[in-house]
Amino acid sequence: MKRISVLLAGLMISAGALAASADSVTVQNPYVRLAPPNAPATAAFMVLKNDGDKDVKVMKADNPTSKLTELHTHINDNGVMKMRPVAAIEIKAKGEAKLQPGGLHVMLINLKAPMKEGDVVPITLTFDDGSSKVVDAKVMKPVAAGMPAMEHKH
Amino acid sequence: MSEKILLGIVAFLTTLLIGLGFFWNPELPERVLPQAGMAAGGEFTLESAKGPVSLKDYRGKLVLVYFGYTYCPDICPTSLAGTAAGLNLLDPDELAQVAVIFVSVDPERDTPARLKEYVEFFHPSMVGVTGTPENLAEIAKRYGAFYARQPVEAAGGYVVDHSSETYVVGREGQMLSKIAHAAPPDEVAAEIRRRLK
Repeated sequence: MKRISVLLAGLMISAGALAASADSVTVQNPYVRLAPPNAPATAAFMVLKNDGDKDVKVMKADNPTSKLTELHTHINDNGVMKMRPVAAIEIKAKGEAKLQPGGLHVMLINLKAPMKEGDVVPITLTFDDGSSKVVDAKVMKPVAAGMPAMEHKH
Repeated sequence: MSEKILLGIVAFLTTLLIGLGFFWNPELPERVLPQAGMAAGGEFTLESAKGPVSLKDYRGKLVLVYFGYTYCPDICPTSLAGTAAGLNLLDPDELAQVAVIFVSVDPERDTPARLKEYVEFFHPSMVGVTGTPENLAEIAKRYGAFYARQPVEAAGGYVVDHSSETYVVGREGQMLSKIAHAAPPDEVAAEIRRRLK
């Protein structure tokens, strides 16, 4: 009996140690902003929560609707908005990373076809340990700041 | 002696600090504020899908001017959606007295025809214009708008850094104020109403 519990404990510990980054990250409110007509690019936003004990990094993102997918952020330099690619998006242990308008986002560049409201874009996030996670992000009309896209206020 | 003076100073400062804490209640600055050092702004003529558009075509109306580009994936849609939502808070009478001009600083990629569809997606009353790089640079400078092409490996080869405020121009074509990026719709509407009076 004792031996079994030791074995079980050992298994649990190793399972903990082997937990993939993708398993410790949960995604809330993922959405893609509907690209206005003629806009060749748009952005996806979401909140990434890391329930694990280790910091996790999103190294890349991919999706089938655009030719390129990149991780970007905005730097507000005295009112001048500078969009720049980032190498990774870090999610601290027990913390979260907010991808939201005006800041971090997954950028969908060179859309293959026009999107429409309600479409679902599967976005694959790849983490620093090679594990990955598919996030289904709904396409939503652009809304003003302070009005979360998920809560439709009319 | 000097110790006494020091103690006195300490006591005075402490009292001052406590007093300030209790009685000093500064008005928090609003996010939409007329700027002290507003740029000159002024006349311009640029090209829309329906032909040339001049600021003076809108005499008698309040004009919101925004500098951006359609390849802009986040900042411009956020600003334009905010402005559009602000316009939707106005009554028809007020709305009839407001015009919105979206100036594309990326004429290489944004044709007037593309701009028309782009801005009307946000609000039917918006007009999209652009011009020659020289003309745009001169206008942007007068308005205090900044933009610069950056060769970032993204979005079709380059991105454009740009200032993200919306300029509020009065009925006589005079520069009045700026609306901050991502100002909520009620602030946009409040600023428009303040300036319509």
